[in-house]
Amino acid sequence: MKARPRSLLSRLDDTVRWTGLPARIADQMSGDPDRKHRPLRWSPIWPIAFSCSLLVISLVWPSLLDVMHPGALIGVITAFWGGVFAMIPAIYMNGPLGKSSLADDEREAALRKSSFLFCLGLLAVLNGLGQPILMILSHWQHWKFAQTASVVTTSFMLNATLFACLPTLYASWNLRQLPND
Amino acid sequence: MQGSVRLSLHNRISVFRAERGISRRELAEAVGVNNQTIGYLERGDYKPSLELALKIARHFDVAVEMLFSLERFEPIAMMLKRTGEDP
Repeated sequence: MKARPRSLLSRLDDTVRWTGLPARIADQMSGDPDRKHRPLRWSPIWPIAFSCSLLVISLVWPSLLDVMHPGALIGVITAFWGGVFAMIPAIYMNGPLGKSSLADDEREAALRKSSFLFCLGLLAVLNGLGQPILMILSHWQHWKFAQTASVVTTSFMLNATLFACLPTLYASWNLRQLPND
Repeated sequence: MQGSVRLSLHNRISVFRAERGISRRELAEAVGVNNQTIGYLERGDYKPSLELALKIARHFDVAVEMLFSLERFEPIAMMLKRTGEDP
């Protein structure tokens, strides 16, 4: 018997598998105590480095901005960052803080607390220092609207990336590999 | 200055676990924590709350001082030797 050709909707359904979500939900529902939220010591560094480099480019090479319309520039930066942004939930969910906080025991709750305290403390310091520095720079260097807009956009992106990735990075470097029982 | 000294907490959970033939997972389930937490406790990477320490002691049916101490525990070989020398 000849197999019927599959519809477009059926093929689209299959693409859901590529997102990794069905496997993740099956893992969450399995109740297996050994399922791993492994330490991710290097992967959170990539989005942070990418966001930092965007901010540095918008600060150091403003001449790059002259060739583009401010709206187009923000669009391009956002589109590039969108690729990185897609990585961030996967990094968070597969990292040591990825499972629901309701299922934390006391050690995991303490680790989650210290990770977020470290992240929020660092963000407070960076923003507290960074905002006056950016204000002084914009005044001294007579920034144009395009540069101001790109610095504002990239610094927001850096803040969001740090908030999403730093707790995972901190928790991952605080966990050491355990030997098997 | 004594207040600034960071005290380390020593434990004999792995010794008691081995003696009773209990796996990490069994102990973890009995005291209501993740089995990795038992591993980190045994290795001294995590200091338990008083509640968890008491639960573990109750599970082994010993006093909490038998499991946890601020000083290093005497090695078992030394303890056996000393016990054998006693009249």
